[in-house]
Amino acid sequence: MHFFRTLFERIPPGLAVILFLAIFSGSVLSFKKMTELEDLEMWTFSRNHLPAYKPFIKKWNKEHPDQQFSLSLLNGRALERRLLSGFFSGTPVADAVETVMRTAHHSFAGPIDAIGFRDLTDRLKEEGLMDEINGPSFGPWTNRGRIFGIPHDVHPVLLAYRSDIVEDAGIDVSQIETWDDYFRIMKPLMKDNDGDGRPDRYLINVWDTIGGYLLLLMEQADGQLFDEEGNATIDSPINIKTMATMITWIAGPNRVGLEMKSNYASDYQLMLDGTIVGFFMPDWLIGKLRQNVPGLAGKLKVMPLPAWTPGGRRTAVTGGSVLGFPKASPNFEIAWKLGKQLYLSEELAVNLFETASIITPVKRFWDNPIFDQPEPFLSGQAVGRMLIEQAPDVPTRTSSPYLDLATKHLVNAAGNIKQYAIRNNKFTVEELLPETKRQMQIAQKHVETQMYRNVFLNKPQ
Amino acid sequence: MKRFRTTPIWAPWFFMGPFLFVFLTFTTYPLFQSIVLAVQQTFGPEYSAFVGLENFRFLLSDPRFWKALKNTAFFASGSICIQLPIALALAMLLNRPSLKGRALFRLVFFAPSLIGMVFVGMIFRLIFEKRTGLLNVVLHSIFPAFDLEFPWLDTYLMPALILAALWMHAGFYMVFFLAALQNVSKDQLEAASIDGAGPWQRFRHVILPAIAPVASFICLLSIIGSFQLFELPYVLLDNTGGPQDRGLTIVMYLYETGFEIGDLGYASAIGWVLALILVGLATIQRTFSRKEEQ
Repeated sequence: MHFFRTLFERIPPGLAVILFLAIFSGSVLSFKKMTELEDLEMWTFSRNHLPAYKPFIKKWNKEHPDQQFSLSLLNGRALERRLLSGFFSGTPVADAVETVMRTAHHSFAGPIDAIGFRDLTDRLKEEGLMDEINGPSFGPWTNRGRIFGIPHDVHPVLLAYRSDIVEDAGIDVSQIETWDDYFRIMKPLMKDNDGDGRPDRYLINVWDTIGGYLLLLMEQADGQLFDEEGNATIDSPINIKTMATMITWIAGPNRVGLEMKSNYASDYQLMLDGTIVGFFMPDWLIGKLRQNVPGLAGKLKVMPLPAWTPGGRRTAVTGGSVLGFPKASPNFEIAWKLGKQLYLSEELAVNLFETASIITPVKRFWDNPIFDQPEPFLSGQAVGRMLIEQAPDVPTRTSSPYLDLATKHLVNAAGNIKQYAIRNNKFTVEELLPETKRQMQIAQKHVETQMYRNVFLNKPQ
Repeated sequence: MKRFRTTPIWAPWFFMGPFLFVFLTFTTYPLFQSIVLAVQQTFGPEYSAFVGLENFRFLLSDPRFWKALKNTAFFASGSICIQLPIALALAMLLNRPSLKGRALFRLVFFAPSLIGMVFVGMIFRLIFEKRTGLLNVVLHSIFPAFDLEFPWLDTYLMPALILAALWMHAGFYMVFFLAALQNVSKDQLEAASIDGAGPWQRFRHVILPAIAPVASFICLLSIIGSFQLFELPYVLLDNTGGPQDRGLTIVMYLYETGFEIGDLGYASAIGWVLALILVGLATIQRTFSRKEEQ
């Protein structure tokens, strides 16, 4: 008692308040009963998908009072960190997770039985979903021959162009079949209006720093950074030739490319003021631009991508989401039922197209008349039908936990080749091929060095 | 006279207990665990393989690590050689009693350090943007021949990073210098003036020795901060190392390796090498400042 009395006498009032608060709040928390999470959880990273999902989940919850789902929107990076931490520790996270390629690929870096997503291959085959869903859409979610999610989309890419500028110049885009045609026919638009000796308009948003678009064009030309077995194929002949060609677009006297992504206000400004005449338009970008850049309404049209060779592929693919089911979830059957209903719902497919212009990968819905409706933002074109016509032809992508790394090295290689071209005044594909080959081999070696260190994927050479 | 213990022997442990628990759980254990990780390859806690010193061996031959180290060292030396003299100059300027509006200027110079690094990165990205960036638009409007597409971040990436950090930190370090300058003995300064010492001599022989301990502390702070550089290039370069990895720093590489590639073992090895570098630099710096003090 003497000790406590001495203690209380010596404690200053400020410290006493802090101690009181600490003891009080600590006690309240320790005695508070943990709230049990009764709901099943679905996570999504996409604000764009949310308006289409909310009514569906609401309806589900009304019809299934004992299987209530809560839908949470998480920032993509936060979702990835939480999900991978959950996978590594075996802690249940959500019961169904809608995520992007990057997150799924990072979960593929270990032994196949350690992948945190449930292997859906047999289930998809048994229930006939492999035939129902567009084949190439499974590519990014397939690893070592097994499929780990239901694809959400197809994401075919068209070419958008400033129809007001092009039509004012009397250009007929129906004559365009290949990239060579495109640049030849559009070239008169690259004028120097302010007399500073540089063009004020460019024809395509390709640049050495935008790895996603370099890859998109390589895939259109049937190139890949990894094969189906996961081996790096960065220095394949088709990739080298495509890269050398792209460098001629961004350096030298015949430059036609401009650095423009599609994420920032500065990008939108380049579209609005006509600095960029043509740019890649995946389906999801249509909805995004309609919302963010209404000033472009009626000034844009789309056409199939010019092919690399006559008769070649007129589309490409970029982005993608998947619905995966964490292994640690004890509610797989319910989550699967919800996921299937959600992704295979015609109502949702229509809603997703109306709100975000995203095309469903479920082939039987492609006949829905909604896809034939004219899109006022794109000068009344039936963009849904145009996207669906290209959907079966999108390149099949492969998956690798090293895709991000490979893309970074691809960007470095592109920058080095561009510098080489400028330094040595070499601006034709033939002149650039040897240096391109060398740079792509360096990129390949860097990626392989990292890959071969991974004892879990273990492919020593 | 014999002294008696008035408090029970367990009392210190009782009071230190909460701290010790938190310290051992969240600092000591992870620290030792990171040593274990550095000699392993892992995929979550369930899958790990002992690889000995392979992570460190690979690090020595990894060109990206050396590039990151070179970039970080360049940034650190740029920060020390530019930031600190400017901070000191600002402090000396604002320490002059004759200057009107000193409080306002102090606030103006200090204000950028109240903004988070992420926002500084975003602001400077808007400034250095091609075509629509503030810098290029202004230069093009003044000199029409100036190329609107001039790629500042491709051509002068490290100077751009140093400039952004300078804008943010100069005012922060200025406050430290200002506090030190206000403690410089006025008598000594007056005596030096009476003895005929000019402004430079007063600075060299009176002010500098008086503020040396603070300058030494700021120097250490700046070195450590520079070697931990992450958010600024991460935001400014859109989660890349910039063209040819010219903006890749050690911590960015650590993050990329550990959290993007998922190789926590190699990331731990990088972390330990970074820690050793910092310990080495701090030791050198302390040795020099002790010699100065003596």
